[in-house]
Amino acid sequence: MAFISELAGRPVTDFDGTQIGVLKDLVARSYKEFPHPVVDAIIVHGKEGDRAIPYSDLAALLSAAIPLKRPAVNIPAYEFRENDIRLVEDVLDQQILDTDGARVVRVNDIELVRVNGNVVVSNVDIGMLGILRRLGLEKLGHWTAKRFSTDLAAGTISWEFVEPLIHDKSMRLKVPMDKLAELHPSDIAEIISDLNRAEHSDLLHKLNIKQLADTLEEVEPDFQADLLEHFSDEKVADVLEEMSPDEAADLLNELSPERSQSLLKLMETEEADEVRELLRYEEDTAGGLMTTEYVTVLPDMNAAQTIEHLRKVGEDAELVYYVYVTDAEEHLLGVFSLSNLIVAQPETPIADFMHKRIVSVELDTEQDEIAQIVAKYNLIAVPVVDADNKMHGIVTADDALDKVLPTAWKKRLPHFFGAHE
Amino acid sequence: MNNILMILREKWMANRWVQSFIMLLSVFGPATITAMADNDASGVATYSIAGALLGYPILFLLTIITVLLGITQEMGMRLTLVTRRGLADLIREKFGVKVSLFIFIGLLVANLGTIIVDLAAVNTTSEMLGIPTIPFLLGVLLLTFVFITWGNYKLTQNIMLVVCLFYFAYIFSAVKAKPDWGLAMSNLVFPNGVTWTSKYIISYLVVGMGVLGATITPWGQFFISSFAFDKKMDKDTLKYSQFETYWGAFLTNFFSFFMIVATAATLYVHGIQLNSGDQAALAIKPFAGALASSLFAYGILAAGFMGIVIVSLSTAYAFSEFFGLSGSLDTDFRKSKTFYTLFIAQLLISALILMIPGASLFNLAIASQVLNAMILPLVFYYLIKLTSSQNLMGIHVNNGFQKYFTSAASVFIVIASAFTVIAVIFRW
Repeated sequence: MAFISELAGRPVTDFDGTQIGVLKDLVARSYKEFPHPVVDAIIVHGKEGDRAIPYSDLAALLSAAIPLKRPAVNIPAYEFRENDIRLVEDVLDQQILDTDGARVVRVNDIELVRVNGNVVVSNVDIGMLGILRRLGLEKLGHWTAKRFSTDLAAGTISWEFVEPLIHDKSMRLKVPMDKLAELHPSDIAEIISDLNRAEHSDLLHKLNIKQLADTLEEVEPDFQADLLEHFSDEKVADVLEEMSPDEAADLLNELSPERSQSLLKLMETEEADEVRELLRYEEDTAGGLMTTEYVTVLPDMNAAQTIEHLRKVGEDAELVYYVYVTDAEEHLLGVFSLSNLIVAQPETPIADFMHKRIVSVELDTEQDEIAQIVAKYNLIAVPVVDADNKMHGIVTADDALDKVLPTAWKKRLPHFFGAHE
Repeated sequence: MNNILMILREKWMANRWVQSFIMLLSVFGPATITAMADNDASGVATYSIAGALLGYPILFLLTIITVLLGITQEMGMRLTLVTRRGLADLIREKFGVKVSLFIFIGLLVANLGTIIVDLAAVNTTSEMLGIPTIPFLLGVLLLTFVFITWGNYKLTQNIMLVVCLFYFAYIFSAVKAKPDWGLAMSNLVFPNGVTWTSKYIISYLVVGMGVLGATITPWGQFFISSFAFDKKMDKDTLKYSQFETYWGAFLTNFFSFFMIVATAATLYVHGIQLNSGDQAALAIKPFAGALASSLFAYGILAAGFMGIVIVSLSTAYAFSEFFGLSGSLDTDFRKSKTFYTLFIAQLLISALILMIPGASLFNLAIASQVLNAMILPLVFYYLIKLTSSQNLMGIHVNNGFQKYFTSAASVFIVIASAFTVIAVIFRW
């Protein structure tokens, strides 16, 4: 086991023992079948500048001096590949993604181990000990750790969970970001809010339409609009179709009317119409907050028929836990929950167990009031009706409470004080 | 606490004069608030001392400082908006752990000095208010702690607005002091109206360094970049933010101008020596009246509190950016042990040093600002280097004037620092 902080600066000696320079960087290469990159070359800083020497030409790497196997003049230039990682330049001191903890952290040191004659990158050190080692104070670190019985290993992350980030245009590294796709959309959203523009552009392009839509739903609309600048109108239209209509409407509200219109034209007619309907209402009212993806049934059905019906249509609904009962003109007659439905006998008409005293809000009800209603009656969603009791949509509890309970993006602390408002 | 502030705010929001001022302030954002925070109690103390000791000619330095403050704050803002990373983040990434540690220690020491002076100023106003020192000091520390723990952006902004109101006290005090406005204005362009004895020149140099360090602070450089962090970047907001930083620089020194004028017109003219800024409040009383004097004192109290909060926060945040111990600067860090340890340690150390008997506040104030000024060239060096990097900044890279004016200023500060140290050591 060795640390890159210890290796950097060690002398590299030629076949005849003369020093040709000092170790400046390590080049590591990733392989699909193995989660840890393998050191494939070293970069030596000598009198004539930097030079890359393949690992296969080194007699030893983890030693006090690094001797070459054959005269330096005979060694051909190392050929870099696109995904080669330069550990010092690209990873050390930089921020990386810890995909296990879904957070952005800074690398203080990099740990290397010898495996079957190769040197592989095992862990990155993000703890205090890494910093002390860089300052030549490792012993002090161990001493304090013993004194205060803190766990030093807590400061390391296995490379399996490390995803380097693209910082600057000047970086050659192409980051695959494969590990990211496995994260929960809320985690991805949180990570995106920690990244800079170049970084999140790269990350967003790795996600498929479904992941992109899910992730966008987790960030604030004004930030969504910002993120979407990276994509073509066609792709944005696809993402909008995938998002729930209320979220899509919120997003379109953030864009210029022209862009918003052209995006709506690119979307499938059915989805676009739903979104257009929502765009007619003020953002902070029930009309603006509601989604049109809910489940309705006719009052003459029985429990078994309803369950059958839900199997067919439930897929597209944002929330199937509440089933709303309406007549042919969509007048709201009643509501029941899935648990009401499941405990009922198959042949029971739904009119027998549906709740007829329904808590509902009107299209122009303000968000604060909806939030209060949702909290007061412990609802998961509340139906939105017009003056004729005709149903237009539902506002889910998380959308209603959004303003009261900040989302992941809002929770993020700007550097100095609380949430920006 | 929030409620009281809200009521306070409602009350004077009703005043039309205040209203239009707030409109003016609210048009501008974080850079303005940052700049206002620059006028903390140690700043007020230094400006008062400068005015009392040197009279109007120190105003000439204020003009240059305003330009330098505007340019460097704009650099910090631009750097963060373009790269979406803080100044400390970038120093760490581009220059490594050792440089980071070195700058952090410098920042820590300078910030400790500033906190001590802020605490001292708050402390001496306690005497004017007739409250015993130690309970008052503990009360302030507790209040600071509560503020840091539960404070948020909105509360901070409210307090800032209250503090800004107190800044008008300085204008009021200055007007009541019946200064020679012609002389004050002409001194903004070139220093005149005094005999340039060698003693005066040395004082001008030392106190001038103090004024520089009070206005352009290392923590201010980290503060602006942190504050800018959450702004979204596009060309329009960049232009807007640039304008805002210049406006902020102007505003902070607009008030500094009146602080200096108030003491120059009274204390310098009558040859009265000062030991600290809060004494200025007492000393101007016979010339400017009791109301001006009390306002001056309350202004110092408010500015001192703000200074303690912001300066100690800036240390903690810079630490987290430099060493990234708790990941990125999200809520986790504010809840982390490191954050509280750093924060409490700063306040305790400052309070302890303050209680050492016989420490001269005058020396402390000037020394801590001179220290701030001496660390500046180091911070500027990295700031200039980063903002001049084509790779990092793209089309938003520094122009020639920004680069050379700041570089020249840095060199000048280094030379002036050297002279100051020599002057202090040999007690000229």
